[in-house]
Amino acid sequence: MQIIINIIITFSIYLLVTLSFAIIYQTTKFFHFAHAAIITFAAYFTFLFFKQLSLPLLLSIPLSIFAATAIGLVCEISIYKPLRIRKVTSLVLLIASLGVYVIFQNIISLFWGDDIKSIRLGVVKTGNDFYGAYITDNQIIIIFISIFLFISALLFLKYTKIGKDMRAVSSDEGLAGIFGINANKTILWSFGIGSALAGIAGILQAFDTDITPMMGFNLLLYGIVAMILSGIDSIWGLIGGSLLLATSQHLGAYYIDSKWMDAIAYIVLILFLIWKPLGFSGKRLKKIEI
Amino acid sequence: MEYIFHIMIIILLYVMLSQSLTLTAGYSNLISLAHAGFYGIGAYTSAIISVDYGITFLETLPIAMLISGILAAFVSVIALRTVDDYFIIITLGIQVLAFSIMNNWMSLTHGPLGIPGIPALTIFGFAFNSKISFLLLTLVLTAIVYLVLRNITKSPFGRVLIALGEDEIFTKSLGKKVYQAKVASFTIGAMFAAIPGVLYAHYISYIDPTSFTIDESIFILSIVIIGGMRNLWGSAIAAAILVILPEVLRFIGMPSNIAANMRQIIYGLALVIMMFKYSKGFVSKKYVGQENK
Repeated sequence: MQIIINIIITFSIYLLVTLSFAIIYQTTKFFHFAHAAIITFAAYFTFLFFKQLSLPLLLSIPLSIFAATAIGLVCEISIYKPLRIRKVTSLVLLIASLGVYVIFQNIISLFWGDDIKSIRLGVVKTGNDFYGAYITDNQIIIIFISIFLFISALLFLKYTKIGKDMRAVSSDEGLAGIFGINANKTILWSFGIGSALAGIAGILQAFDTDITPMMGFNLLLYGIVAMILSGIDSIWGLIGGSLLLATSQHLGAYYIDSKWMDAIAYIVLILFLIWKPLGFSGKRLKKIEI
Repeated sequence: MEYIFHIMIIILLYVMLSQSLTLTAGYSNLISLAHAGFYGIGAYTSAIISVDYGITFLETLPIAMLISGILAAFVSVIALRTVDDYFIIITLGIQVLAFSIMNNWMSLTHGPLGIPGIPALTIFGFAFNSKISFLLLTLVLTAIVYLVLRNITKSPFGRVLIALGEDEIFTKSLGKKVYQAKVASFTIGAMFAAIPGVLYAHYISYIDPTSFTIDESIFILSIVIIGGMRNLWGSAIAAAILVILPEVLRFIGMPSNIAANMRQIIYGLALVIMMFKYSKGFVSKKYVGQENK
């Protein structure tokens, strides 16, 4: 029972991270590595507002999400948009985002140091008993928030004007432009929403475990693996990808050892690419087959 | 003086690392984030066999290169099923796997404790104990690596790599074996990355997994990009600048932990700026110019 609870908790966090990353990936089609820094920034901002400036929790969380979103938007406006105007390949954008990530991560290290910070509330207590398994209040909140946000994001993409624009840009940017959809504005929106979701994921993770400058990068790597597993193009597929990843990691941790969880994520990805080199969606990852 | 020799040895190690990645990432355009992994595999192989079995340098070097090469060939056969962005993600995965093995396989690598007491290098009974002798040895090996890589890039095989880096489909249509050339390029790059690994292990005489992290991979890749992608000398100069930089920062009175962060911030900035410069793609101007005439 405990393992099922653990899988569900991990799945919820992965789902949120993957969703936040996929929203940006689908409109821009490149791997935005600096997203990792946004997750970390949100956690450290909460630490700053809540612990260092002693603001109330209900004020510091929105402030942190807002600040993290602002950082995501600044990335897009100051770096990616000028690059995109020059018609660069997604590879160039990826490396630029790696550079941005390195800068951000070191800024975090400079300000807050490399040691582990904690923003847990009160004393650590044993969780609630749930059919013989333990689950803490935080973890229940994580599960509900991430499922709520996932459903809201689905509804948002399906019914609102901006959501429809985002889907249009993601399927064909040129055609969307002909129909009068401003691609740059839409991409900016997707950066805003994606960064806000990433910020929430970072804060939730920070309350559940601890804060380190590397936390965002580890989470994002799992998010990317889950996204590739689920087949880049589908939002519903994200559930499958996150669930597959969370399950295999926890089963691996149960039968082998929890220290191999990083490795298991990538072994799953590599096995998957041998088995289905084109991804679940069948999208061609090769340039050409002769 | 010892300090200057130390800096020079570290620079030469990074010159070898970045030049070997120049072949893979620059010439054949297979941008890899796993290079520190192969660097680490070289270091660990040499450390384990020289500590446990007392084998000397002349044998550890080929063994380390061979193991790194075999692993690279094996993983690249899988990784090269994908291209561009996905290839980077897979190499990132290989890096994470390599680090995970170094950090967790306690019985083989001693995990986070690292391997202490790696003996000094000896060739035919001559021990390279002093910094100056080690520097000379590193210099000789760097020169050999440079010459081999230069000859590879100027050979017909090198031209196939350049061609597939620029236009894979066109190269394939000319009847060149693109897939095999890519695997070969990745494998050669990884084999040469093992050489600085072996030297590093014997030089520092203690290794632990933190020297071979993903940050290190990004650092080596940024040396290659800052050096101009397809430029062996450019990589050498960029390596020298990026290694000396934190020392200069420390020299002007910055605390060493801030200097380390500042170095990373500066190379992150350099990466972003270089991407604006490369906004037309990684094909160097030399080749584009010939095309236009």
